[in-house]
Amino acid sequence: MNRDPSPFRTASTASTATSPTPKYANLTASTNLRYSLTRKSIYDRHLNRTKTSELSKSAFAFLFGEMVQYAQKKVYGVQDLEKKLNLHGYAVGQRFLELLLWRDGRTAKRETRILGILQFISHQLYRAIFQKQADTLEKVRENEDEYMISDNDPVVNTYISVPKEMSQLNCGAFIAGIIEAVLDGHCFPAKVTAHTAPNEMWPGRTVFLIKFEPEVLEREALRVGS
Amino acid sequence: MFLFRLRSSRVFSLAVTMVVYAVLILNKAGGLIYQRDFNPGLQKLSSNDYLILAGTFHGVHAITSQISPTNETSSSGLEVLESENFVMRCFQTLTGTKFLIFAEPRQQNLDVVVRRVYELYADYVMKNPFYQIEMPIRSEGFDRHLTSYIKPHQ
Amino acid sequence: MSSTSRARLGEEVWKLRTDKINAELVTLTYGSVVAQLCKDLDGDYAEVNKQLDKMGYNIGLRLIEDFLAKSNMQQKCANFRDTADVISKVGFKMFLNITPTIVNWSSDNKQFSLLFDENPLADFVELPDDGKAQSDLWYSNMLCGVIRGALEMVQMSVDAHFVSDVLRGNDTTEMRINLIRYIEDEMPQDDE
Repeated sequence: MNRDPSPFRTASTASTATSPTPKYANLTASTNLRYSLTRKSIYDRHLNRTKTSELSKSAFAFLFGEMVQYAQKKVYGVQDLEKKLNLHGYAVGQRFLELLLWRDGRTAKRETRILGILQFISHQLYRAIFQKQADTLEKVRENEDEYMISDNDPVVNTYISVPKEMSQLNCGAFIAGIIEAVLDGHCFPAKVTAHTAPNEMWPGRTVFLIKFEPEVLEREALRVGS
Repeated sequence: MFLFRLRSSRVFSLAVTMVVYAVLILNKAGGLIYQRDFNPGLQKLSSNDYLILAGTFHGVHAITSQISPTNETSSSGLEVLESENFVMRCFQTLTGTKFLIFAEPRQQNLDVVVRRVYELYADYVMKNPFYQIEMPIRSEGFDRHLTSYIKPHQ
Repeated sequence: MSSTSRARLGEEVWKLRTDKINAELVTLTYGSVVAQLCKDLDGDYAEVNKQLDKMGYNIGLRLIEDFLAKSNMQQKCANFRDTADVISKVGFKMFLNITPTIVNWSSDNKQFSLLFDENPLADFVELPDDGKAQSDLWYSNMLCGVIRGALEMVQMSVDAHFVSDVLRGNDTTEMRINLIRYIEDEMPQDDE
């Protein structure tokens, strides 16, 4: 995971959430930050406060679109753009994973098998973020180290029409980044890429191709042996 | 023979099966940014003629919005244009974008159609990061949703 | 349209005509955008503010159409006070499910403030502890740009900027909006 953490942590981590006696957070923490005396700091607010909150899908679409446009200015070609979107997704995925596991509390389970972690992603994670499950989860027959998760209508692509000259592009790379972060967070390092795979019913159907690093398969083989 | 009608004299009647011939979208400056036929019925024009049609309509619209016969300070301008062969409904948004719907004569609920087209435009054109505003619309998603909305109305 | 009926309209559009999405996805995505800018611009927060405003402006130019299409508003606001009311009760309501409070009108009715009791963009956020972010960065600055862009499309030239933010240790989050002028319509406009 050679990724820099964001310049600032959007403190959604379990460690900060459970920091003791938030009342004195501004005194005890080694920080020079100023806190409002009359307003609750993030340490005082319950992390579940926004668990079921909703915003408009339009707001997200505009934000996401602007993110794509900004990224597009600074890249050479489609692959580079997808990489940028992947990194954005990665930052989001890291934080979502923390939130999710923290919310599971004592029932949180550490997935140690490939199938287990993939199911966690296509069920729990997908439900938490997108309010639906992923549509399919399959193994790529020819390649031992590859799996596919499909989404008939990825929420990030609803309003996007990719121009013909960029037909290789799938902005679902953002979701691929989320998946990658969750896999990394569980020590299943992998490359995840998004590919457009339309069918009659679903013109925007997207397949997330997950290619695990060799060590993941080695470990899996050991466990199967035991 | 044309009949100009301003908003105040809108006539209501029961909806009948609807045939929409074409949808045009004009940007603020009167440039044609979208033109699509959905059903046969209108004459085919060259792309240059479509641009002239758009520009001319833009001018006529500007005039009609300034010569309102009533004393109201502002007028919405030309909204409906009817002939024996077709009816055209124009909807200008507060941003100055114009949506023109051409349909069979005596269609009465074109208001609903034009509003829906505006919503689809807001969704599949405005939210598409690959669309540059004020420029011609090339958006597969917009085409697809527009077709599936307008075609069942036959 | 009265203030109450605008509140009702905002509520109605939010409830019946708005597709929803997980709020945390939006919050975290916005955070990722701001963090990326801080990195790209090497911690020059004044530049980050500018870029956020610019991105917001681009959004505003587009978002206005969505706003008008979904709210079905077809009449121009009679005055700037009405505009403020619509921004808060219909605009913010339908996109971010909040209704910032309108306060501090100037005597000429050309300036007001929006007070954000809630700010979904800033949930989970603490600014970097680098000695300058809290004095230089306006984390939610994109919102200013959105308002500027959206109003420009309906013939109002405004200036919008934050004057306080709880993330900076202030007791309020306040945005100041100032009407510069109404842009004459119908006449050909100068290209920017």
